Amino acid sequence: MDTSTIQIILKILHYLFFGYAFAAISSYIVLSIISGKETIDYLKRNSFVNYKDILSSTMSPSITIIAPAYNESLNIVENVRSLLSNHYVNYDVVIVNDGSKDDSLEKLIEAYDLEKVDYVINEKLKTQPLRAGVFKSKNPAFEKLMVVDKQNGGKADALNMGLNISKNKYVACIDVDCLLLEDALQKMIKPFLEITDTKVIATGGVIRIANSCVIRGGKLIDVNLPKNLLVQSQILEYLRAFLLGRMAWSRLNGLLVISGAFGIFDKEIAITVGGYDTKTVGEDMEIIVRMRRYMEEQGRKYRVSYIPDPLCWTEAPDTYKIFISQRNRWTRGTIETLKKHRKIGFNPKYGSFGLLSYPYWLIFERLAPIIETVGILYFVILVVLKEVKWEYALSFLFLAYLFSVLFSIVAIYSEELTFHQYKKKGTGFKLVLLSALEPFVLHPFILYAAIRGNFDYYFNKKIKWGQMERRGLSSVET
Amino acid sequence: MIDFQMLIEYYGESPFLIKLAWITSLVLSVSIILLTVYLKFARTLLRKKEVDSLKFRAAYEALLIEYIYSGDEVSIISDNQKRIIDELKPQVLDRSKRKVIISVLYKLMNQVSGEVTDAVKILFKESGLINYALKKTQSKKWHVKAKGIGEFTRFKIESVQDEIKKHLTHPLREVRKEAHFYFVNLFHFEGLTFLDTIKTPLSEWDQIQMLEILQRFTNQEICDIKPWLKSSNDTVILFALKLAKVYNQYEVKDELMDLLSHKNKHIRIQVIEVLTHLYGIEAKDVLKANFTELSLEEQISFFGLLEKLVVPDDEPFVEKHLFHKDFEIQLLALKILKSINIDKYMGLSELPLHEKSPAMLKLTNTN
Repeated sequence: MDTSTIQIILKILHYLFFGYAFAAISSYIVLSIISGKETIDYLKRNSFVNYKDILSSTMSPSITIIAPAYNESLNIVENVRSLLSNHYVNYDVVIVNDGSKDDSLEKLIEAYDLEKVDYVINEKLKTQPLRAGVFKSKNPAFEKLMVVDKQNGGKADALNMGLNISKNKYVACIDVDCLLLEDALQKMIKPFLEITDTKVIATGGVIRIANSCVIRGGKLIDVNLPKNLLVQSQILEYLRAFLLGRMAWSRLNGLLVISGAFGIFDKEIAITVGGYDTKTVGEDMEIIVRMRRYMEEQGRKYRVSYIPDPLCWTEAPDTYKIFISQRNRWTRGTIETLKKHRKIGFNPKYGSFGLLSYPYWLIFERLAPIIETVGILYFVILVVLKEVKWEYALSFLFLAYLFSVLFSIVAIYSEELTFHQYKKKGTGFKLVLLSALEPFVLHPFILYAAIRGNFDYYFNKKIKWGQMERRGLSSVET
Repeated sequence: MIDFQMLIEYYGESPFLIKLAWITSLVLSVSIILLTVYLKFARTLLRKKEVDSLKFRAAYEALLIEYIYSGDEVSIISDNQKRIIDELKPQVLDRSKRKVIISVLYKLMNQVSGEVTDAVKILFKESGLINYALKKTQSKKWHVKAKGIGEFTRFKIESVQDEIKKHLTHPLREVRKEAHFYFVNLFHFEGLTFLDTIKTPLSEWDQIQMLEILQRFTNQEICDIKPWLKSSNDTVILFALKLAKVYNQYEVKDELMDLLSHKNKHIRIQVIEVLTHLYGIEAKDVLKANFTELSLEEQISFFGLLEKLVVPDDEPFVEKHLFHKDFEIQLLALKILKSINIDKYMGLSELPLHEKSPAMLKLTNTN
């Protein structure tokens, strides 16, 4: 190859990287504008809604909260108490003890006065068999509670058991360690009951980070910004993702994922499509994609809704080791889901789902870490070859950095002007400061975890869920 | 010292893309600085608003409680009440104070009854709050309009019903819904006349809310729901079915029987459930005769009805469906058989394993 050919190749690569970055930034701008509009509309629509009637009405639809638990002995009793303290009238709670090796079941039996009952399970979805059986409380105060002890089969398997057990029309699938606010169910069920011309198949909620928050008796008492920089950075990241990203995709009816931490599903559709996939680590995304795919193939009008209110609070990883393990799993889940449903991508038969949501997810979520890594390697090679045009490199690097800071600040504004959860003095400044630091303290690790996820997906098939250590929300009580 | 001259020269000599990048960076930097400064201001303002709101709330709560309890039996409103109204008049001019007054007033309205409620209504009218609510209903912004109607509903202002009536067919659901709630809240069952003509769908959410509103009233004498059961609007039928169930409307059984052949499956299922609730034994033979033509959901609902209204004569029918393709029906059939013929039910346990239905196997394993 002569020098001119190399120059042409280099030029093409430059334009490709530039074009990708430009497209990514443009999409973020468009999404934040759409999310702004959607948030304003949402707040207007809900500024005069009376939730009290739905709350107390026996006519309101019944919901089953399904919470899988695996070795959650540390906080299981408190967490179940929190789930039982919801204000909605028609709901029950199914705790699926997924073959825990600790004393979770014993603790639940003791705390809630449980006894074994004969319960015939309609096994619409294949799951691992029961271990100790099905338990209900002798105490009428806990009549809403049911505990199912089964052999270990993973989170998806446990959720499928919950789907089999539930007798209600709607199921709320949540992580047992999540703190659900008392009004969460009536807010989340609203889209199912309100939209008359379209079938709502699922509703997702915002997940907020509860580390350092004060929680008492299963209730959120005080919201604090944690001291740990990693957790702080994740708060900012969640604000961006939930208040800017997902809100916009909700408007476009293009949501591909509802957080596994909290989502409500139409049980019939969830079962019809075969329930949760036990072979993926990204079961929360996979089921949504499959449900959407089913509805598209049936030619039915449908919607995946989204509620921006801060209704579900969870514990975020506070060490880089656990954080990387979590993000590694998310990456593998995304790869598995997109690969499994690749038929949808760029397929006009699936409408905007195939032509917009899937391609966006593929290009800007799935491929982003790979393109970024290739870009970094390419830059290093240019440095070595002394081919870097520094005035270009520095000016665009600085521009990209400023954009990321500004985008985070927009997310902070979105939070401040809507739900305003971080009220304490000085928190606003800390969040802005965090916007400037986050590209250095969080992003490199996200990138590393994503690359590790790709590597593990292709070369280390044995790895499944990875490590997730819980400190426990109640332990942060002060 | 920064050599600005050198920077300007560098900028002047730079290619277009670099110039563009630096200009954009400058714009972004300025935006970040301005937004950071404004964030401080906005957060301070939000905190101040919250503190003010609490302060106003405490002050108005005291004043409005005094208003409510200073009525006398001589006149509609006492001199002290007049004084308080005069005191409030200039306050309602301020938007944030008005908001707090309305909120406190509504809270108090919910805690009182009878004549005291009338006193609250007088305050709403005399203080000028009614004019602001009226202005809201005439706003071009739909959410303001809906809020205005909501205020009239909350304070039960009947005099504006003609104005609200205009919004019963508003193209936006939120406005329409508030108008519906206004009439149901103020005129109870009589307020439901809009159901006679409504063409737009009533969401499940709206139906539940209207039922809750209706159930709050002491006078539970329900109007004739038959016309709504024959409505061309499916959601009106569904609402009427809910009314039939909640208010035990045995007299509409004929209409319910007719609805068993309605084209909408969801309605048919609901009818079976209402008939189950109303002990609609007449439905049993009709559904039995058409059982194979029913959808699976209808069949399950019918077995629900049978579970409640079964008689020994139904045994052959139940027995026939012990091996139905659906597990739930198998289970219900077993349960029903157990209730009418325990010997036959016990006899099923003698069946060889390969002849048992999945439900029988499950029951055997569970027990």
